[in-house]
Amino acid sequence: MSPDRGRTPLERWFLPDRSVWRAIGALVSVLVLGCLWNADGAFFALGTHLDALWFIAPFGILACGLTVVIISGGIDLSVGSLVALSGVVFYLLLARHEVPGPIAAATAIGIASVCGVTSGLLVGFARVPPFIATLGMMAFARGLAKSPWTSDNVKITQYPDPSFVAMLNARIPPLGTPLIVPVFAVAAACTWFFLRRLVSGTRTYAIGDNERAAVCAGVPVRRVKLLAYSIGGLMAGLAGVFFAALERQGNPDGGTGYELTAIAIVVVGGTSLAGGSGGASLTVLGTLTIGYIRKILDINAVETSTQNMIFGAIVVGAALMQSVRPSRR
Amino acid sequence: MTPTRRANAATFVLLVVILVVLAGFAVSAYALLRATRERASAEAARAAAQQAQVQARVAESMAALEAERLREGATANTPAASTAEASAIRIGYSQCNRGEPWREQMDKDIKAHAAKHPEIQLIAKDAQNEALRQIAQVKEFVSGKVDTLIISPKDTSLTAAVAEAFESGIPVIVLDRAVEGEKYTCFIGADNRLIGAEVGKWVVKTLNGTGNVVELKGLASTIPSRDRSEPFHDALKSTGIKVLYEADMEWLSDRAREKMQAALSRNPQKGSIQLVYGANDPAAIAAYNAAKDAGRENEIIFVGVDALPHEGVEMVRRGVLAATFEYPNGADLAIETALRLKKGEAVPKKITLGTRLFTRENVDQGGTPIPAKP
Repeated sequence: MSPDRGRTPLERWFLPDRSVWRAIGALVSVLVLGCLWNADGAFFALGTHLDALWFIAPFGILACGLTVVIISGGIDLSVGSLVALSGVVFYLLLARHEVPGPIAAATAIGIASVCGVTSGLLVGFARVPPFIATLGMMAFARGLAKSPWTSDNVKITQYPDPSFVAMLNARIPPLGTPLIVPVFAVAAACTWFFLRRLVSGTRTYAIGDNERAAVCAGVPVRRVKLLAYSIGGLMAGLAGVFFAALERQGNPDGGTGYELTAIAIVVVGGTSLAGGSGGASLTVLGTLTIGYIRKILDINAVETSTQNMIFGAIVVGAALMQSVRPSRR
Repeated sequence: MTPTRRANAATFVLLVVILVVLAGFAVSAYALLRATRERASAEAARAAAQQAQVQARVAESMAALEAERLREGATANTPAASTAEASAIRIGYSQCNRGEPWREQMDKDIKAHAAKHPEIQLIAKDAQNEALRQIAQVKEFVSGKVDTLIISPKDTSLTAAVAEAFESGIPVIVLDRAVEGEKYTCFIGADNRLIGAEVGKWVVKTLNGTGNVVELKGLASTIPSRDRSEPFHDALKSTGIKVLYEADMEWLSDRAREKMQAALSRNPQKGSIQLVYGANDPAAIAAYNAAKDAGRENEIIFVGVDALPHEGVEMVRRGVLAATFEYPNGADLAIETALRLKKGEAVPKKITLGTRLFTRENVDQGGTPIPAKP
């Protein structure tokens, strides 16, 4: 059940549970690392921080959707392919068919959501294991993104940029914050509201914690799972539109391996892959942590091989920290 | 709110989202349909015009032929088709992975060049990046007794299959990636080291020997990445050009964008980077986009490699890239070699392709060829 249960509102705000402090600790230690290893002062420039946020925010949106799925005790491997599919559909409609931007974006997000709903139906109603169902969706969505009806396996571009793409890449004065950052904030807030303020969210925790007990308690398990995977698909579609705008192309090969980055974000934040615990605020902290790690490694021009090793060690380290945590069950 | 009302609220919100999305669906489906219909009618008109043109041309050449025959005083009774029939040549063509844009271009070029020769019957197969599938395809071609086999192998695991085809008497033309040993007829491949060196030369000339450069390399474990990078560094030695920042972009445009952002934040003063060399065109284009997001695209020169017609060359034409160097696929030479083999002519065991430089000045003339080193 939700960890907020049985707390007064004061405690809820001022005594977050230990996983939040752990995630904050991880972020602070990464920031300290950045200050020490600052690449001749590049780390102290405002632009570096905006770039770090800009780069990681779409991954954060992916991770928000994935958080809900993982809390329900499942996993969604298809988000990377859904990013490619949504980006291809978005650019196809925008550049080739001259559909107005908002409608193109809504359609792209809609198609990704339909894929999410399908995964949800498979997992919730047909009882296919989440790993298998979303693995299938991963291959299917990738195929659809490359099919003759969509991209025909060619990157879709337009030059100069369509005005809607320029709008999505816009920076907001006075700091020059990229638009994607507030969008990520809104997505995270929506995820938080769903998980902590709606009864479906509480039920998601219940299913992830102990599915059999949830069934006995009368939780509509199938419907809640459907909802979780739909949110995962929706967020992947949203992220896909922003990825396409950033790359200025609908790339059928895009999004490869993004599901792993998103899972890493969720895990580093402190949401347990076993389900039943975690939350949106943890995922936001995980997003910032991973974003800053990558930025610090990049501005110091660390070799890719070393980067991968450091990245792997950090993910495993975060998982180790979780296993130390006293079990909630 | 009671739990039930909260559940209702959640359902309501989801319903609204789905409705909005469905409305979007309907509108864009309509737009798509309309656009498709318009395009179909435009295409039909174009096809009709084209056909008329072709017919006119055929009639013209027939008339010319007839006139010649009359002049020679010969009676026109030898059908031209039978000569083509007699020398018909069946070419089996196995591509390791059509999924890559460069290889897709190779497929298109092979088909286009084969179509120029009516006597060629081309059987094209795609192994979808699986060595086993490609081995099976080679065996199918051998048992189907094609006249010539053109193969762009996935890797050296194709050596045995290629040798088997070669020993059964079928001439084998190996494209781009080599197999081990000598059991093939002809290898045609491009030279990444030449390209790396030529990029280096061009950069030294363009920057007049001084400046700061960012290099976005391919995946470190791949040989093309090393071959496009090392000669580039050699060319910059003992000049005033410094490579400020170099990083692996793993042949991925999203990684290239990330690395370019890092290069820009390491060198935040305007004018601190003069040139970016991307080991392929998508990387150079992604770097341009990253610089554009930072408002610095006009102070930097972008150079790429590959020069696919719809990608690098197009971006040179639009002024995004200053230059791109072609990594040729040898499709024209492969078809030509197949025809020469059919005629019984000798062909070299190894053909190394040159490259071609496209810049804003020469892009409309089709670039400047740079021959391979002997």
